[in-house]
Amino acid sequence: MLEVTGLRKSIDGREILKGVDLAVEKGDALAVLGPSGGGKTTLLRCLNYLERADAGTMTFQGQRMDMPALSRKDIAAYRRHTAFVFQNFNLFSNKTALQNVTEGLIVARKMPKAEAADRAMAALERVGLAERRDAYPSQLSGGQQQRVAIARALAGEPDVIFLDEPTSALDPELIGGVLEVIRTLAEEGMTMVIVTHEVHFARQVSTRVLFMDEGAVLADAPTAEFFEEQKLERIQSFLRSLNRKEG
Amino acid sequence: MSERVVDILISSFPRILGQGLLVTIPLTAISFALALIIAVICAMVQIADVKGLKQLVRFYIWIIRGTPLLVQLYLVYFGLPDLGLALPAFPCAVAVFALNEGAYCAETVRASIEAVPRGQMEAGYCVGMSYTQIMRRIVLPQAFRTAFPPLSNSLISMVKDTSLAANITVTEMFMATQRVAGRTYEHLALYAEVALIYLMFCTVITWLQRLGEKKLNAMNGGNVIRA
Repeated sequence: MLEVTGLRKSIDGREILKGVDLAVEKGDALAVLGPSGGGKTTLLRCLNYLERADAGTMTFQGQRMDMPALSRKDIAAYRRHTAFVFQNFNLFSNKTALQNVTEGLIVARKMPKAEAADRAMAALERVGLAERRDAYPSQLSGGQQQRVAIARALAGEPDVIFLDEPTSALDPELIGGVLEVIRTLAEEGMTMVIVTHEVHFARQVSTRVLFMDEGAVLADAPTAEFFEEQKLERIQSFLRSLNRKEG
Repeated sequence: MSERVVDILISSFPRILGQGLLVTIPLTAISFALALIIAVICAMVQIADVKGLKQLVRFYIWIIRGTPLLVQLYLVYFGLPDLGLALPAFPCAVAVFALNEGAYCAETVRASIEAVPRGQMEAGYCVGMSYTQIMRRIVLPQAFRTAFPPLSNSLISMVKDTSLAANITVTEMFMATQRVAGRTYEHLALYAEVALIYLMFCTVITWLQRLGEKKLNAMNGGNVIRA
Protein backbone atom coordinates (compact mmCIF):
# COMPACT_ATOMS: atom_id res chain seq x y z
CA MET A 1 0.00 0.00 0.00
CA LEU A 2 2.83 2.38 0.90
CA GLU A 3 6.22 1.82 -0.62
CA VAL A 4 9.27 4.04 -0.45
CA THR A 5 12.56 3.56 -2.24
CA GLY A 6 15.83 5.46 -2.09
CA LEU A 7 14.76 7.98 0.54
CA ARG A 8 17.57 10.41 1.29
CA LYS A 9 17.63 13.42 3.56
CA SER A 10 20.39 15.72 4.75
CA ILE A 11 19.95 18.41 7.37
CA ASP A 12 22.61 21.11 7.67
CA GLY A 13 25.00 19.10 5.52
CA ARG A 14 24.68 16.01 7.67
CA GLU A 15 23.24 12.99 5.95
CA ILE A 16 20.40 11.74 8.18
CA LEU A 17 18.85 9.19 5.80
CA LYS A 18 21.15 7.37 3.41
CA GLY A 19 18.79 5.72 1.00
CA VAL A 20 15.99 4.06 2.95
CA ASP A 21 13.59 1.53 1.41
CA LEU A 22 10.45 0.35 3.11
CA ALA A 23 7.11 -1.19 2.31
CA VAL A 24 3.93 -1.22 4.36
CA GLU A 25 1.05 -3.49 3.47
CA LYS A 26 -2.53 -2.87 4.50
CA GLY A 27 -2.99 -4.06 8.08
CA ASP A 28 0.71 -3.95 8.85
CA ALA A 29 1.96 -2.48 12.08
CA LEU A 30 5.51 -1.60 11.21
CA ALA A 31 7.71 -0.86 14.20
CA VAL A 32 10.77 1.27 13.50
CA LEU A 33 13.47 0.52 16.06
CA GLY A 34 17.02 1.62 16.54
CA PRO A 35 19.32 3.79 18.61
CA SER A 36 18.66 7.51 19.10
CA GLY A 37 19.96 9.67 16.31
CA GLY A 38 19.62 6.87 13.80
CA GLY A 39 17.14 8.76 11.66
CA LYS A 40 13.87 7.13 12.77
CA THR A 41 11.96 10.33 13.45
CA THR A 42 13.29 12.04 10.32
CA LEU A 43 12.16 9.03 8.30
CA LEU A 44 8.65 9.28 9.72
CA ARG A 45 8.51 13.04 9.17
CA CYS A 46 9.60 12.56 5.56
CA LEU A 47 6.83 10.00 5.11
CA ASN A 48 4.25 12.69 5.90
CA TYR A 49 6.20 15.52 4.21
CA LEU A 50 6.82 17.43 7.42
CA GLU A 51 10.39 17.21 6.20
CA ARG A 52 11.07 17.33 2.51
CA ALA A 53 13.15 14.38 1.29
CA ASP A 54 16.16 15.18 -0.92
CA ALA A 55 15.55 12.07 -2.98
CA GLY A 56 13.14 9.17 -3.01
CA THR A 57 10.09 7.72 -4.65
CA MET A 58 6.87 6.93 -2.87
CA THR A 59 4.13 4.70 -4.17
CA PHE A 60 0.90 5.11 -2.26
CA GLN A 61 -2.17 3.10 -3.24
CA GLY A 62 -0.79 2.66 -6.72
CA GLN A 63 0.17 6.32 -7.17
CA ARG A 64 3.83 7.05 -7.80
CA MET A 65 5.14 10.24 -6.27
CA ASP A 66 8.50 11.91 -6.56
CA MET A 67 9.10 12.85 -2.94
CA PRO A 68 11.33 15.95 -3.39
CA ALA A 69 9.08 17.45 -6.06
CA LEU A 70 5.57 16.65 -4.83
CA SER A 71 3.35 19.72 -5.10
CA ARG A 72 1.67 21.33 -2.11
CA LYS A 73 -1.71 20.30 -3.46
CA ASP A 74 -0.66 16.67 -3.87
CA ILE A 75 0.81 16.66 -0.38
CA ALA A 76 -2.49 17.94 1.00
CA ALA A 77 -4.38 15.24 -0.90
CA TYR A 78 -2.00 12.54 0.36
CA ARG A 79 -2.30 13.80 3.94
CA ARG A 80 -6.05 13.31 3.82
CA HIS A 81 -5.26 9.58 3.69
CA THR A 82 -2.77 9.65 6.54
CA ALA A 83 -2.54 10.79 10.13
CA PHE A 84 0.37 11.68 12.37
CA VAL A 85 0.74 11.26 16.11
CA PHE A 86 3.52 13.37 17.60
CA GLN A 87 5.87 12.61 20.44
CA ASN A 88 4.70 15.69 22.31
CA PHE A 89 1.05 15.43 21.20
CA ASN A 90 0.74 18.88 19.59
CA LEU A 91 -2.92 19.23 20.45
CA PHE A 92 -4.28 22.64 19.44
CA SER A 93 -4.01 24.38 22.79
CA ASN A 94 -6.81 26.88 22.06
CA LYS A 95 -9.29 24.08 21.31
CA THR A 96 -11.09 21.59 23.53
CA ALA A 97 -10.56 17.86 23.18
CA LEU A 98 -13.65 17.58 21.00
CA GLN A 99 -12.69 20.60 18.87
CA ASN A 100 -9.22 19.15 18.40
CA VAL A 101 -10.81 16.15 16.77
CA THR A 102 -13.46 18.02 14.76
CA GLU A 103 -11.19 20.85 13.56
CA GLY A 104 -9.64 18.97 10.66
CA LEU A 105 -12.94 17.37 9.70
CA ILE A 106 -14.83 20.65 9.55
CA VAL A 107 -12.14 22.98 8.24
CA ALA A 108 -10.09 20.76 5.95
CA ARG A 109 -12.66 18.18 4.89
CA LYS A 110 -15.68 20.49 4.92
CA MET A 111 -17.75 18.00 6.89
CA PRO A 112 -21.04 19.31 8.36
CA LYS A 113 -20.56 20.23 12.02
CA ALA A 114 -23.04 17.73 13.43
CA GLU A 115 -21.57 14.84 11.48
CA ALA A 116 -18.03 15.87 12.51
CA ALA A 117 -19.11 16.02 16.17
CA ASP A 118 -20.65 12.54 15.95
CA ARG A 119 -17.56 11.10 14.39
CA ALA A 120 -15.30 12.88 16.88
CA MET A 121 -17.30 11.58 19.82
CA ALA A 122 -17.00 8.06 18.46
CA ALA A 123 -13.24 8.53 18.16
CA LEU A 124 -12.98 9.93 21.70
CA GLU A 125 -14.98 6.97 22.95
CA ARG A 126 -12.53 4.59 21.31
CA VAL A 127 -9.69 6.10 23.32
CA GLY A 128 -11.82 6.23 26.46
CA LEU A 129 -12.04 10.01 26.78
CA ALA A 130 -15.59 10.84 25.73
CA GLU A 131 -16.33 12.36 29.12
CA ARG A 132 -13.37 14.78 28.77
CA ARG A 133 -14.69 16.24 25.53
CA ASP A 134 -14.84 19.81 26.83
CA ALA A 135 -11.43 19.84 28.51
CA TYR A 136 -8.62 21.93 27.07
CA PRO A 137 -5.23 20.29 26.53
CA SER A 138 -3.79 22.15 29.54
CA GLN A 139 -6.42 20.44 31.70
CA LEU A 140 -5.48 16.94 30.53
CA SER A 141 -2.62 14.70 31.61
CA GLY A 142 0.05 13.83 29.07
CA GLY A 143 -1.43 10.39 28.58
CA GLN A 144 -4.89 11.82 28.03
CA GLN A 145 -3.52 14.38 25.58
CA GLN A 146 -1.85 11.65 23.58
CA ARG A 147 -5.08 9.64 23.52
CA VAL A 148 -6.96 12.70 22.23
CA ALA A 149 -4.24 13.06 19.61
CA ILE A 150 -4.85 9.45 18.59
CA ALA A 151 -8.59 10.14 18.43
CA ARG A 152 -7.83 13.13 16.20
CA ALA A 153 -5.78 10.85 13.98
CA LEU A 154 -8.53 8.21 13.85
CA ALA A 155 -11.33 10.65 13.09
CA GLY A 156 -9.98 11.33 9.63
CA GLU A 157 -10.34 7.60 8.89
CA PRO A 158 -6.77 7.42 7.59
CA ASP A 159 -5.39 4.55 5.57
CA VAL A 160 -2.20 4.71 7.56
CA ILE A 161 -1.22 6.32 10.88
CA PHE A 162 2.33 7.45 11.60
CA LEU A 163 3.22 7.46 15.29
CA ASP A 164 6.43 9.20 16.35
CA GLU A 165 7.55 7.83 19.72
CA PRO A 166 4.03 8.21 21.07
CA THR A 167 4.99 7.39 24.67
CA SER A 168 8.46 8.94 25.00
CA ALA A 169 7.20 12.15 26.55
CA LEU A 170 4.98 10.42 29.11
CA ASP A 171 5.47 9.59 32.76
CA PRO A 172 5.93 5.85 33.24
CA GLU A 173 2.51 5.37 34.85
CA LEU A 174 0.76 6.99 31.87
CA ILE A 175 2.43 4.95 29.15
CA GLY A 176 0.26 1.86 29.64
CA GLY A 177 -3.02 3.53 28.70
CA VAL A 178 -1.62 4.91 25.44
CA LEU A 179 0.03 1.62 24.47
CA GLU A 180 -3.24 -0.15 25.20
CA VAL A 181 -5.06 2.10 22.72
CA ILE A 182 -2.41 1.50 20.05
CA ARG A 183 -2.52 -2.24 20.70
CA THR A 184 -6.27 -2.27 20.13
CA LEU A 185 -5.85 -0.40 16.87
CA ALA A 186 -3.28 -2.93 15.71
CA GLU A 187 -5.60 -5.78 16.59
CA GLU A 188 -8.33 -4.11 14.55
CA GLY A 189 -6.02 -4.13 11.59
CA MET A 190 -5.19 -0.42 11.42
CA THR A 191 -2.16 0.17 9.23
CA MET A 192 0.53 1.89 11.28
CA VAL A 193 4.15 2.92 11.25
CA ILE A 194 5.39 3.33 14.81
CA VAL A 195 8.73 4.78 15.78
CA THR A 196 9.27 3.52 19.30
CA HIS A 197 11.77 2.75 22.02
CA GLU A 198 9.37 0.28 23.65
CA VAL A 199 10.95 -2.89 22.30
CA HIS A 200 8.77 -5.16 24.41
CA PHE A 201 5.67 -3.44 23.05
CA ALA A 202 6.97 -3.56 19.48
CA ARG A 203 7.49 -7.28 19.85
CA GLN A 204 3.92 -7.84 21.03
CA VAL A 205 2.10 -5.51 18.69
CA SER A 206 3.99 -5.06 15.44
CA THR A 207 3.80 -7.32 12.43
CA ARG A 208 7.13 -6.18 11.01
CA VAL A 209 10.22 -4.51 12.37
CA LEU A 210 12.48 -2.07 10.59
CA PHE A 211 15.79 -1.52 12.35
CA MET A 212 17.63 1.69 11.59
CA ASP A 213 21.09 2.82 12.51
CA GLU A 214 23.07 5.78 11.23
CA GLY A 215 20.53 6.58 8.55
CA ALA A 216 20.37 3.16 6.98
CA VAL A 217 18.09 0.14 7.33
CA LEU A 218 19.98 -2.70 8.99
CA ALA A 219 17.06 -5.11 9.08
CA ASP A 220 13.51 -5.32 7.78
CA ALA A 221 11.77 -8.53 8.81
CA PRO A 222 8.56 -10.00 10.22
CA THR A 223 8.50 -9.39 13.97
CA ALA A 224 8.92 -12.99 15.10
CA GLU A 225 11.82 -13.54 12.75
CA PHE A 226 13.44 -10.25 13.78
CA PHE A 227 13.48 -11.11 17.46
CA GLU A 228 13.97 -14.87 17.35
CA GLU A 229 16.36 -15.37 14.48
CA GLN A 230 18.39 -12.21 14.74
CA LYS A 231 21.86 -12.82 13.33
CA LEU A 232 23.27 -9.32 13.21
CA GLU A 233 25.60 -8.66 16.13
CA ARG A 234 24.81 -4.89 16.02
CA ILE A 235 21.11 -5.53 16.58
CA GLN A 236 21.64 -8.26 19.15
CA SER A 237 23.79 -5.94 21.24
CA PHE A 238 21.20 -3.15 20.91
CA LEU A 239 18.45 -5.46 22.15
CA ARG A 240 20.66 -6.77 24.96
CA SER A 241 21.46 -3.24 26.10
CA LEU A 242 17.73 -2.48 26.28
CA ASN A 243 17.05 -5.67 28.19
CA ARG A 244 19.69 -4.72 30.71
CA LYS A 245 18.07 -1.33 31.14
CA GLU A 246 14.61 -2.81 31.52
CA GLY A 247 15.68 -5.77 33.65
CA MET B 1 -7.29 76.09 47.78
CA SER B 2 -8.93 79.38 47.02
CA GLU B 3 -12.50 79.61 45.92
CA ARG B 4 -11.29 80.99 42.57
CA VAL B 5 -9.22 77.87 41.85
CA VAL B 6 -12.12 75.62 42.77
CA ASP B 7 -14.37 77.57 40.45
CA ILE B 8 -11.86 77.34 37.59
CA LEU B 9 -11.42 73.60 38.15
CA ILE B 10 -15.15 72.98 38.15
CA SER B 11 -15.94 75.18 35.18
CA SER B 12 -13.03 73.81 33.10
CA PHE B 13 -13.73 70.19 33.91
CA PRO B 14 -16.57 69.63 31.41
CA ARG B 15 -14.61 71.43 28.70
CA ILE B 16 -11.43 69.38 29.23
CA LEU B 17 -13.26 66.09 29.68
CA GLY B 18 -15.38 66.96 26.64
CA GLN B 19 -12.28 67.34 24.46
CA GLY B 20 -11.10 64.05 25.93
CA LEU B 21 -14.26 62.26 24.92
CA LEU B 22 -14.60 64.03 21.58
CA VAL B 23 -10.97 64.10 20.45
CA THR B 24 -8.50 62.15 22.61
CA ILE B 25 -10.54 58.95 22.71
CA PRO B 26 -11.58 58.88 19.03
CA LEU B 27 -8.02 59.80 18.03
CA THR B 28 -6.66 56.94 20.12
CA ALA B 29 -9.32 54.44 19.06
CA ILE B 30 -9.02 55.09 15.32
CA SER B 31 -5.21 55.26 15.39
CA PHE B 32 -4.87 52.11 17.47
CA ALA B 33 -7.29 50.12 15.32
CA LEU B 34 -5.29 51.09 12.23
CA ALA B 35 -2.04 50.35 14.07
CA LEU B 36 -3.26 46.83 14.83
CA ILE B 37 -4.10 46.21 11.18
CA ILE B 38 -0.66 47.49 10.14
CA ALA B 39 0.95 45.38 12.86
CA VAL B 40 -0.73 42.12 11.84
CA ILE B 41 0.05 42.68 8.16
CA CYS B 42 3.68 43.54 8.90
CA ALA B 43 4.04 40.55 11.22
CA MET B 44 2.50 38.16 8.69
CA VAL B 45 4.73 39.46 5.89
CA GLN B 46 7.76 38.75 8.06
CA ILE B 47 6.57 35.34 9.25
CA ALA B 48 5.58 34.18 5.78
CA ASP B 49 8.89 35.58 4.50
CA VAL B 50 7.41 37.42 1.51
CA LYS B 51 10.45 38.44 -0.54
CA GLY B 52 10.85 42.16 -1.11
CA LEU B 53 7.92 43.07 1.12
CA LYS B 54 9.78 41.77 4.12
CA GLN B 55 12.70 44.13 3.52
CA LEU B 56 10.23 46.98 3.08
CA VAL B 57 8.61 46.15 6.42
CA ARG B 58 11.95 45.96 8.20
CA PHE B 59 12.86 49.35 6.72
CA TYR B 60 9.57 50.89 7.87
CA ILE B 61 10.02 49.54 11.40
CA TRP B 62 13.62 50.75 11.47
CA ILE B 63 12.69 54.30 10.46
CA ILE B 64 9.73 54.60 12.79
CA ARG B 65 11.40 53.18 15.86
CA GLY B 66 14.53 55.20 15.27
CA THR B 67 12.91 58.64 15.18
CA PRO B 68 10.89 60.56 17.81
CA LEU B 69 7.13 60.58 17.56
CA LEU B 70 7.08 64.35 17.93
CA VAL B 71 9.48 64.76 15.02
CA GLN B 72 7.29 62.46 12.92
CA LEU B 73 4.26 64.63 13.73
CA TYR B 74 6.12 67.79 12.69
CA LEU B 75 7.47 66.17 9.53
CA VAL B 76 4.05 65.14 8.35
CA TYR B 77 2.05 68.18 9.46
CA PHE B 78 4.53 71.01 8.82
CA GLY B 79 6.89 69.27 6.41
CA LEU B 80 4.73 67.50 3.86
CA PRO B 81 2.90 70.70 2.76
CA ASP B 82 6.25 71.71 1.23
CA LEU B 83 5.74 68.77 -1.11
CA GLY B 84 2.19 69.87 -1.79
CA LEU B 85 0.69 67.34 0.60
CA ALA B 86 -1.23 69.27 3.23
CA LEU B 87 -3.46 67.22 5.51
CA PRO B 88 -5.82 68.67 8.12
CA ALA B 89 -4.51 68.26 11.65
CA PHE B 90 -6.74 65.40 12.86
CA PRO B 91 -6.22 63.00 9.91
CA CYS B 92 -2.56 63.89 10.05
CA ALA B 93 -2.39 62.90 13.73
CA VAL B 94 -4.27 59.67 13.03
CA ALA B 95 -1.83 58.76 10.25
CA VAL B 96 1.25 59.44 12.34
CA PHE B 97 -0.01 57.68 15.47
CA ALA B 98 -1.18 54.66 13.47
CA LEU B 99 2.10 54.33 11.57
CA ASN B 100 4.14 54.90 14.70
CA GLU B 101 2.28 52.48 16.95
CA GLY B 102 1.93 50.01 14.06
CA ALA B 103 5.70 49.59 13.90
CA TYR B 104 5.98 48.81 17.61
CA CYS B 105 2.95 46.52 17.65
CA ALA B 106 4.24 44.70 14.56
CA GLU B 107 7.16 43.50 16.66
CA THR B 108 4.83 42.49 19.49
CA VAL B 109 2.61 40.52 17.13
CA ARG B 110 5.56 38.92 15.33
CA ALA B 111 7.13 37.80 18.60
CA SER B 112 3.80 36.41 19.78
CA ILE B 113 3.29 34.41 16.60
CA GLU B 114 6.83 33.09 16.83
CA ALA B 115 6.15 32.03 20.42
CA VAL B 116 3.47 29.57 19.25
CA PRO B 117 5.18 26.17 19.12
CA ARG B 118 5.98 24.89 15.63
CA GLY B 119 4.14 21.69 16.41
CA GLN B 120 0.81 23.55 16.25
CA MET B 121 1.45 24.32 12.61
CA GLU B 122 2.60 20.77 11.88
CA ALA B 123 -0.41 19.25 13.60
CA GLY B 124 -2.63 21.49 11.49
CA TYR B 125 -0.95 20.33 8.30
CA CYS B 126 -1.32 16.72 9.37
CA VAL B 127 -5.10 17.02 9.75
CA GLY B 128 -5.22 18.50 6.25
CA MET B 129 -5.53 22.21 6.99
CA SER B 130 -3.92 24.86 4.79
CA TYR B 131 -1.39 27.46 5.95
CA THR B 132 -4.03 30.18 5.98
CA GLN B 133 -6.53 28.03 7.85
CA ILE B 134 -3.98 27.10 10.51
CA MET B 135 -2.85 30.71 10.88
CA ARG B 136 -6.37 32.01 11.29
CA ARG B 137 -7.85 29.30 13.50
CA ILE B 138 -4.91 27.98 15.51
CA VAL B 139 -1.83 30.18 15.51
CA LEU B 140 -3.23 33.73 15.58
CA PRO B 141 -5.73 33.07 18.41
CA GLN B 142 -2.89 31.66 20.52
CA ALA B 143 -0.57 34.49 19.53
CA PHE B 144 -3.27 37.00 20.42
CA ARG B 145 -3.39 35.69 23.98
CA THR B 146 0.36 36.29 24.27
CA ALA B 147 0.21 39.67 22.55
CA PHE B 148 -2.73 40.98 24.56
CA PRO B 149 -0.88 42.36 27.62
CA PRO B 150 1.89 44.12 25.63
CA LEU B 151 -0.70 45.46 23.18
CA SER B 152 -2.66 46.83 26.13
CA ASN B 153 0.56 48.54 27.18
CA SER B 154 0.80 50.13 23.76
CA LEU B 155 -2.79 51.30 23.91
CA ILE B 156 -2.25 52.90 27.31
CA SER B 157 0.89 54.62 26.00
CA MET B 158 -1.01 55.92 23.04
CA VAL B 159 -3.77 57.51 25.12
CA LYS B 160 -1.11 59.70 26.71
CA ASP B 161 0.96 60.20 23.56
CA THR B 162 -2.03 61.80 21.84
CA SER B 163 -1.29 64.86 23.99
CA LEU B 164 1.57 65.47 21.54
CA ALA B 165 -1.04 66.18 18.89
CA ALA B 166 -1.53 69.53 20.63
CA ASN B 167 1.71 70.53 18.92
CA ILE B 168 0.10 70.24 15.51
CA THR B 169 -3.05 72.16 16.49
CA VAL B 170 -5.31 69.24 17.31
CA THR B 171 -7.48 70.56 20.14
CA GLU B 172 -7.45 67.44 22.23
CA MET B 173 -7.64 67.29 25.98
CA PHE B 174 -4.19 68.67 26.71
CA MET B 175 -4.55 71.65 24.40
CA ALA B 176 -7.92 72.46 25.95
CA THR B 177 -6.16 72.51 29.34
CA GLN B 178 -3.34 74.70 28.03
CA ARG B 179 -5.85 77.23 26.84
CA VAL B 180 -7.57 77.49 30.20
CA ALA B 181 -4.22 77.64 31.97
CA GLY B 182 -3.01 80.37 29.64
CA ARG B 183 -6.00 82.47 30.49
CA THR B 184 -6.16 81.83 34.24
CA TYR B 185 -2.51 81.10 35.19
CA GLU B 186 -3.66 78.22 37.42
CA HIS B 187 -1.05 75.83 36.01
CA LEU B 188 -0.64 73.50 38.95
CA ALA B 189 -4.34 72.88 39.50
CA LEU B 190 -5.29 72.58 35.83
CA TYR B 191 -2.46 70.28 34.76
CA ALA B 192 -3.15 68.14 37.82
CA GLU B 193 -6.76 68.04 36.72
CA VAL B 194 -5.96 66.88 33.20
CA ALA B 195 -3.46 64.36 34.58
CA LEU B 196 -6.28 62.92 36.68
CA ILE B 197 -8.50 62.60 33.63
CA TYR B 198 -5.74 60.77 31.72
CA LEU B 199 -5.34 58.53 34.75
CA MET B 200 -9.07 57.87 34.70
CA PHE B 201 -9.01 56.86 31.02
CA CYS B 202 -6.03 54.57 31.57
CA THR B 203 -7.63 53.03 34.64
CA VAL B 204 -10.62 52.03 32.53
CA ILE B 205 -8.28 50.43 29.95
CA THR B 206 -6.39 48.59 32.69
CA TRP B 207 -9.66 47.27 33.96
CA LEU B 208 -10.73 46.21 30.47
CA GLN B 209 -7.37 44.50 30.02
CA ARG B 210 -7.89 42.41 33.11
CA LEU B 211 -11.38 41.47 31.93
CA GLY B 212 -10.04 40.59 28.46
CA GLU B 213 -7.26 38.45 29.85
CA LYS B 214 -9.73 36.54 31.98
CA LYS B 215 -11.85 35.86 28.95
CA LEU B 216 -8.88 34.87 26.78
CA ASN B 217 -7.58 32.55 29.48
CA ALA B 218 -10.93 30.82 29.69
CA MET B 219 -10.83 30.32 25.94
CA ASN B 220 -7.45 28.66 26.23
CA GLY B 221 -8.25 26.38 29.11
CA GLY B 222 -6.81 28.57 31.85
CA ASN B 223 -3.33 29.74 32.71
CA VAL B 224 -0.67 27.12 32.41
CA ILE B 225 1.31 28.72 35.21
CA ARG B 226 -0.54 28.89 38.48
CA ALA B 227 0.70 30.02 41.81
